[in-house]
Amino acid sequence: MNKEEILGKLTAIFHEELDNDDIVLSFETTADDIEEWDSLSHIQLIVAVEKAFKVPFTSSEIQSWNNVGEMIDCIIAK
Amino acid sequence: MILQLDTIFQHQFKVDDSVYNGFINTFDDQNSLHINDEFAQNKGFKSKVMHGNILNGFLSYFIGELLPTEDVMILSQTINFKNPVYLNDILNFEAVVSEQSEAVQVNTFKFKFVNAELKTVASGKIQIKELT
Repeated sequence: MNKEEILGKLTAIFHEELDNDDIVLSFETTADDIEEWDSLSHIQLIVAVEKAFKVPFTSSEIQSWNNVGEMIDCIIAK
Repeated sequence: MILQLDTIFQHQFKVDDSVYNGFINTFDDQNSLHINDEFAQNKGFKSKVMHGNILNGFLSYFIGELLPTEDVMILSQTINFKNPVYLNDILNFEAVVSEQSEAVQVNTFKFKFVNAELKTVASGKIQIKELT
């Protein structure tokens, strides 16, 4: 999958996990840009992303991400 | 992580008068299906049907009291009701750690409640976070 395809799949996950189909993700999106993306929903997002892409993350990887693009880079690197 | 993948937990619950009346006294759901034997029998049940959400109370007990640590919180749970539960039913509960995320310290349990006739009355999933 390329970055755009992963972004599309992530968007669907965000819609499902955050119960908001209006969310538009970009590579620069951060938690500050999405009202529903709080500390607890972040945990569920990570679990859902790990499951969807069949990739386990480490806590240090998660903490290093500054935006959705860096999450995608991490998925590609797995 | 404190919990290990594939670990199985088992417990027996009884839906006795204390549980049944406690639920009604707390939440005041007095739908006839739950309090009137004749009504329930006319709908095809053996007798009055216990509130499904009593089982959610048992799930709360499982997470809060039966795990080897108190450092947990529920993130989500789903439950599917498959067969009716009646007053004084004894339910054998089993939950297994089916998925884990080390990164966010999350465990997912698959669980089921089975009655004395070996019928699964409910099953589902609970997601919990280990608090560090």
